[in-house]
Amino acid sequence: MSATQVPASTPGDGIASGPRRRFRGGNAGFWVLAIVVAFFLLVPLYVLVKVSLSTLAQATAPRPSYLIQDPTLDNWRRLLTWDVIGSPLQHSLTVATGTAIIAILLAAPAAYVVARLPRGVRYFVILGILFTRMFPEVIIATPIASNFFSWGLNDTDLGLMLAHLVRTLPLVAWILVGSFEVIPYDLEESSAVDGASRIVTLVRVVLPIAAPGIAVAAIFAWLDSWNDLLYAIYLFLTERTLPLEVYYYANRGNVTDVATFSVILTIPVVIITLFLQRWIKSGYLSGAVKG
Amino acid sequence: MDQGNVRSTGTALGVDVVDQRDYRPRRGPMAWVRKHALEIAMATPLFLYILFFMFVPVFQSIYFSFVHEGTSSFTLDNYRDVMGRSQFGEAFRNTLGITAFGVSMEMVVGMGIALMLSRAFHGRGIFRSIVLLPLGVPTLVAGAAMLYFVGFNGYLNEILLDLGIIDVPVYWQQSGVRGMFIIALADLWKTIPLVVLILLAGLESIPGDVYEAAGIDGAGGWQKFWHHTIPLLMPSITMALILRAIDAFRIFDIAMVLGGQAIPVMSSFVYSDYRAGNTNTAAAAAVILLMMIVVFVIAYIFLVERRSEVNR
Repeated sequence: MSATQVPASTPGDGIASGPRRRFRGGNAGFWVLAIVVAFFLLVPLYVLVKVSLSTLAQATAPRPSYLIQDPTLDNWRRLLTWDVIGSPLQHSLTVATGTAIIAILLAAPAAYVVARLPRGVRYFVILGILFTRMFPEVIIATPIASNFFSWGLNDTDLGLMLAHLVRTLPLVAWILVGSFEVIPYDLEESSAVDGASRIVTLVRVVLPIAAPGIAVAAIFAWLDSWNDLLYAIYLFLTERTLPLEVYYYANRGNVTDVATFSVILTIPVVIITLFLQRWIKSGYLSGAVKG
Repeated sequence: MDQGNVRSTGTALGVDVVDQRDYRPRRGPMAWVRKHALEIAMATPLFLYILFFMFVPVFQSIYFSFVHEGTSSFTLDNYRDVMGRSQFGEAFRNTLGITAFGVSMEMVVGMGIALMLSRAFHGRGIFRSIVLLPLGVPTLVAGAAMLYFVGFNGYLNEILLDLGIIDVPVYWQQSGVRGMFIIALADLWKTIPLVVLILLAGLESIPGDVYEAAGIDGAGGWQKFWHHTIPLLMPSITMALILRAIDAFRIFDIAMVLGGQAIPVMSSFVYSDYRAGNTNTAAAAAVILLMMIVVFVIAYIFLVERRSEVNR
């Protein structure tokens, strides 16, 4: 067997390449394909930025230009004033931050308990949590909107937070169960042997180790709320959030403002996503189980 | 009985302390509750929230859909009413079309990109970052970006005109095949990172010697892919497909921005019906959407998973 060793050394090489002669010929094709894919993935964002930098006349011209011509910051100057963006920005920030905090407070303790359940039960509970994803959001949002109107929670940040939690909690719980279940129970036992009570152990030992997972879950919750249109459109009638602004501008057909608002909505998300990639990698656990 | 107050069993002070606690196993539900009081207190809030804000509304919707508005007598009129509307028929067809067309495109393109990323090449890191980029873009924005492509004066028409494929601009934003196509396209752009990540994780878990053995047996690239990669990748494919199909059935943001009322899908139909004051028929449409998802998932698991188990 070793005499006929296939030269493919990296695990992936054998998959796409096939026989060697085609591998050589396919290389140019591979690069063309990669560039085409990258192009299609980048071009929508380029167009958004381009339109946000153009005048309405340029953006609605019958034959739009491919490249940015005579960029203008007029749209940005007009929309980046407190009168326009202040209220929706405040709502979006408050609701997203509140949702993230409440989601962690509700889900972290429960996720710890689920993570310490026997294997079969744990699997069943996680499956049940993911099962709720099958519910269409409108089937939940319709009665929630009716109820919240009668409770006076429409157009309030609290109401929107409570609604966003519906979608966020299963996801957050799922991430948190994953980050709690990898923490060895030995750590808790040795802490108990040292005389710490259950709660002290949880706060001093378990919580710091789970911190990266909790941070990731909180950021997911924040983003989920920040991006939401569905519950906002159900519950906010007079007030606006940033996604609602994008939707209403799109509905009115104001193309440059839609692009500008879209970029405003996207910037924090892109920054956070970049930040998130760093956090996920940090090996927090490595030092904890030394014995 | 002073010793009854002593709690520590430690000998830290060099004194033998007698542990007076009763270690005999307790029986009965109350004992179980007392033993796990902390766990119960920790888990209850989340499960109560999910019960009251998720399951209760779902049952409320189901209840609304079966009763007359105003009175609460049982009726099927809401379903009859909603199914008789042409807007509902369009929403139903659009949703099925977007799901079928969009998810199959996503699986094919996602598989292609995952296969590319499973190779080692210069610039793989940059390529991976570009592929993951849409993950960081709100779904709503993915739809808004598509507006500039599919509008009457948009880039899709512009490119097709420049290439000489069409002579007159096409009106894309209308119900039917064109509407399904543009919504599925925006959805493809937004969700490609998720599909790639799931499939790539599956690809990377396939041991390399499977291919070595197949190469010795004289299998070609396509044969290897079809007879080895796909069967081994089946769990990842199932996961990606079910996750994506469920979300495609529930599609809302992109359809609202791109199509509004012109291209209705099930979710946007429910919303606009609710906004028009028809809570009960909106609930009926929402229940139909739930049934579509449940039927799909059950059918997929029975047809595809069962068969692949027989083949194994």
